[in-house]
Amino acid sequence: MEGKDNKYDPLLKEIWAKVRKKHFFPELPDPTISESMDRVALEIKSKQITLNQSFMEEAARHLPMEKVVEALLDHGVAHYTYCPWDFHTHLILYQEAKKVLKDKEMAQKSAGYFMDVVADTHCFKEKDTPISDLYSHMERGTLDRVIHALYQRIWGRDLNVQGCEEISRKLSRIPYLDRKPWPESIHRFSRIIQGLLESEEKLGTLNQPNPMGQNDFGRYTPEEMDQGLKEFAMSTGDPGEFKGVVRDLEDELKEAGCQTHGNMGLGSGSSLDADILFYMKLAENYSLPIKKTPIEKSGSLYPFSHSPWELGKPFRDIDPWTSFGKVMPGITQIWERREGDTFGEEEGTPSCIVVIDSSGSMINPRQHLSYAVLGAACASDAYLRNDATVAVYNFSDTRHGGRQIVDYTRHRTEIYQGICHYFGGGTRLDIEDIESLQNPSQPDIFIITDMQITNLEVLIGYINGLGNRVTAVHIGENKDVRQFRKSMEIRKNVSIYSVQKKEDIPRIVLGKIREYFRSVS
Amino acid sequence: MEDGNSRQKVRDIYGFIQDNLYLNRPDMRVAEESFNSALLFSLLTALNRGKELIIGEPGLGKTTSAEYIGAMTYRLPLGLIWAGEVSGHPEQTEEKIIGRPDLGRLNRGEEVVIWSYLAQLPIKIVDEINRLPETKQSMILDGVDRGKWEYLNDVIINEEYCLFATANYQDRGTNTLIAPLIDRFDVIVESRHPGTNMAFMIGMKDRYENVLRSAVFERRFQEILLQRRDYHEKMRGLEELCDRFGDHMEKEFHVRMLSQAERKEIRDCMQELPLDADANAFLRTVIAELSFCHKYGQKRSDEHCEEGCHYTGFLCHHTKNCISNRFPISVRTYSQSLAWLLGDEAVGIDHIKAVLPYALAHRVQWKDDYISQKQASNRRDPLQIYMGKEMVNEVYRRYNEQSHHIKNALAVAYQTLSGKGLEPIEGDHPIYAEIKRDLEEVR
Amino acid sequence: MINPFEDFKEYPYKKKEIPLDRIVRAKERVMDQIIEGYLKLVEEEVKELVWLVEHNRILKAYSSALQTIQKFDYDVDDIEELCLELDKGGRIPYLISGPSGIYISALCNNAKEQEIHLRLYELKRTFHFLGYRLPEGKTLILEGDLGDFIGAGLSGGKLIAKGSTGNWAGAGMMDGELCITEHAGQNMGEWMSGGEIHVDGQIRGIGKTIRGGRIYQRDKLIFPNYLTSRY
Repeated sequence: MEGKDNKYDPLLKEIWAKVRKKHFFPELPDPTISESMDRVALEIKSKQITLNQSFMEEAARHLPMEKVVEALLDHGVAHYTYCPWDFHTHLILYQEAKKVLKDKEMAQKSAGYFMDVVADTHCFKEKDTPISDLYSHMERGTLDRVIHALYQRIWGRDLNVQGCEEISRKLSRIPYLDRKPWPESIHRFSRIIQGLLESEEKLGTLNQPNPMGQNDFGRYTPEEMDQGLKEFAMSTGDPGEFKGVVRDLEDELKEAGCQTHGNMGLGSGSSLDADILFYMKLAENYSLPIKKTPIEKSGSLYPFSHSPWELGKPFRDIDPWTSFGKVMPGITQIWERREGDTFGEEEGTPSCIVVIDSSGSMINPRQHLSYAVLGAACASDAYLRNDATVAVYNFSDTRHGGRQIVDYTRHRTEIYQGICHYFGGGTRLDIEDIESLQNPSQPDIFIITDMQITNLEVLIGYINGLGNRVTAVHIGENKDVRQFRKSMEIRKNVSIYSVQKKEDIPRIVLGKIREYFRSVS
Repeated sequence: MEDGNSRQKVRDIYGFIQDNLYLNRPDMRVAEESFNSALLFSLLTALNRGKELIIGEPGLGKTTSAEYIGAMTYRLPLGLIWAGEVSGHPEQTEEKIIGRPDLGRLNRGEEVVIWSYLAQLPIKIVDEINRLPETKQSMILDGVDRGKWEYLNDVIINEEYCLFATANYQDRGTNTLIAPLIDRFDVIVESRHPGTNMAFMIGMKDRYENVLRSAVFERRFQEILLQRRDYHEKMRGLEELCDRFGDHMEKEFHVRMLSQAERKEIRDCMQELPLDADANAFLRTVIAELSFCHKYGQKRSDEHCEEGCHYTGFLCHHTKNCISNRFPISVRTYSQSLAWLLGDEAVGIDHIKAVLPYALAHRVQWKDDYISQKQASNRRDPLQIYMGKEMVNEVYRRYNEQSHHIKNALAVAYQTLSGKGLEPIEGDHPIYAEIKRDLEEVR
Repeated sequence: MINPFEDFKEYPYKKKEIPLDRIVRAKERVMDQIIEGYLKLVEEEVKELVWLVEHNRILKAYSSALQTIQKFDYDVDDIEELCLELDKGGRIPYLISGPSGIYISALCNNAKEQEIHLRLYELKRTFHFLGYRLPEGKTLILEGDLGDFIGAGLSGGKLIAKGSTGNWAGAGMMDGELCITEHAGQNMGEWMSGGEIHVDGQIRGIGKTIRGGRIYQRDKLIFPNYLTSRY
């Protein structure tokens, strides 16, 4: 226990051991007791549970201190082990509540109470907890009364609550302990308590703290929040929804130590910027491999391992040393030979030019999930992770100014700004633009497009003349794709992949050259 | 049987190595205690005759940790352990690993085998096993699996043995440890960098490992091993010498080591420890998620399920292969060892949770998209072990939600198989489907 | 033969249940019945997912729905939940607005409660025929924007629409009160023979054939207009 010793520390230690066992040994640090907290009973910050001593002593006037401590710990641990379990779940619950309540504070409040109900009910049913005894004697606000009335109904225990019949009846129909329909359940939960929340807001009491602790984002570590944002990006698959939630919670996330990057807002004229953060987080779910320097074969065979000699096998590979000078089955051994490997001239990962099509035939990344932006983002991340630099060429109708070039950089935000920019115009690229990014070190080229390019033949001709490794990714199938594939059939330095769904993205191997196949084991 | 004394001895061995020989940081917590995973699992491997794969960067103590554990648990001088090690390189031959003909007698037409130290000694250390050709890897693992070593027409059978194999991360110049071979290892651990401050301390003191060396005893041990007589007689002689070496260590340096009888007693105690209901049910839950396939009956490496299966939220959707039957054996054995070490009367879910990641990290083949989701996460473990821990967390969450239901389902299944006409309990998890299938096969 | 569950021989298998489990289970049972009833109605009444609005069809669908739901023991919350299920489309593969509205109306009319409050304001779909034949003594409060034929055939009950309605609101109503807090569509009150309609917002158009009853807009009587009497 940190800080100076508290008189309840021995009791806390004893009860904590019991609670840990009850909840199957969650990975949480030992809880502490604080003498200087607000009205709340407990607080959870970055997994650390802290109990409020004055709350404990107040509650201990009605029931034994051991039960008070056990009930509080059960509540705190159940939030960690059951609901919400992780930051991603918390975001989903908030998102659903917001859809109904349309107000950030109300949605947070609703999500908080919902999580309390789920955690407490799970504890009550599965973990033999004295939580119900604690609630019987607790001071209550309006919302707390409703929640305790609900507990009375669904637990079958008298908690000294009168009234709230109708609302608790409606609330009792929700399957709190069934995890799968939680999004739908919190939707219904929010609908039912909406009136109450609105009254609280009018009275100015909405922000009163929940006596059982604020279910805020401080309970998560920055790593957990980062992971949660990644999972949230993956599960929503919708930049608008993701942005809506993250924008709401930007202050809270920053306070809790999570880095977010604000979106770019609208660009000038008719071009739009996508939600960069969404694609950044979504791309973190993928880790594309990059083929590094090719292993050159020496072309010669070298002794590699022994195998037993048998009658009929040639004599020339006999190893006289391991055969002890004998030529007889069971004793004599021959060398197996293998082609040797040597290092190539270059090492490491080359830079990459990311060529992305943001013409009108491509999806607007702000409105819907764009596989092109996602693919380009994943490729950029892969090169950045391997200490390479990335340049971006975003094209639409270059004749009419529909182009954006980002020079080689390791600055992730700049790269994403380039990738996420959406022109939505015609489709014509300018080979000179790509050429301007070429350099003697022959960077890799990653191109992602639906191939519906007006001057596709020019592009094909250009690529045919390149010595760079080219990874071409096409979205969907059409005659232009077929034409491109056919033209690239004999090109060993060009690998072509198709992306029709998110799951196709991990199959991309950057910089793969077809002649590698013979050397890959 | 009173095993408190043995337990204290084992803890003393752990403490001695940790404080003096293998300086490292604790990186896992079980019950209220912290341990270094590499040291802990090496100790458990030595005690329960296991096979451990130790990975890590070059020079971070992979081999030395195994050597110290081997020396102290089997009362062998360090020099002898070194002499018995096999190092992995492609030119290794069967003659260097297992044994060779007695050349003098061979010239007289007699086939007499001189066995290698590796084959004879109970502690078997193979350095950089991934640099051996597959045939040699297989040869060693076959031998350790059964304790039986064959050369020409002769056989020796080890009564007591354990294997420590080290491997660097895959790079040029190494072979792959193929799946059937890697599955034979009970656990995989990483020997990590000890941290700046501990690393600074290494080498500051006198080389304490000299305590475990003794030129006189090493010579005597070698004389015994080189004798041309029956293997079991040699081993008896070896054990007597181990007794003397152990006494010498205790008198001179106050270092207590384990005798053969004590090791046997410890193993017997460990094996008697039962699994409590939750540990039992949790392990079954894990096995179910790693072997079940709704579409194809069981997981198979060449049959991958697509999206849309009801069970996409479970591990079976993220893995390619079916977990082997060696896995529950490894988990049970190591959990029992760990529970014994902690002085617990039964194996609980915390012991199982502690052991699981290390027992399955090397056995599970994850799908590419699942790997790519986890690969870039912040972590302190190598990816394999990290994914093992993540997997355990996931299943733990699911188990926590429905532990009672699962245990009920298993209890009802028992009653049903015993003749009572109870209907199997339904639920949304592969374990319920597996239980139902077991009952169907019988009916 | 070996019993692989031997370890659980002594485990006391007892179902842990709390009132929540019973409540949810009972609710699920009722919802299953109600949904089954709806699907049966659709199967009988709707051919190839097309349902034409004809007087006889409406009568038949309503009568069929009433027959089905007599056996159910449900309450108001179940009715609202059905609306949510219909909107969500998970368990119910298709929503045909007409029959679903008639089915909901049958449930409302047959419910034990005298006052029924349905919150439909954030649903993606709109239902037609809500409040069909609402009988005397019943009050139906609908929150949200609604479809066509709201309060059609009203038979003495009071229907409060806290939102806008589509076309044909109050069509064929015989008695009772229809209150619309926002706007109403075309053909409002067509074929009505009694009762009152109160609209607080705009009315796009009143029915051409109105045999009786009154229509008020913002408390001002606009039908019958005594300057141009239509009777």
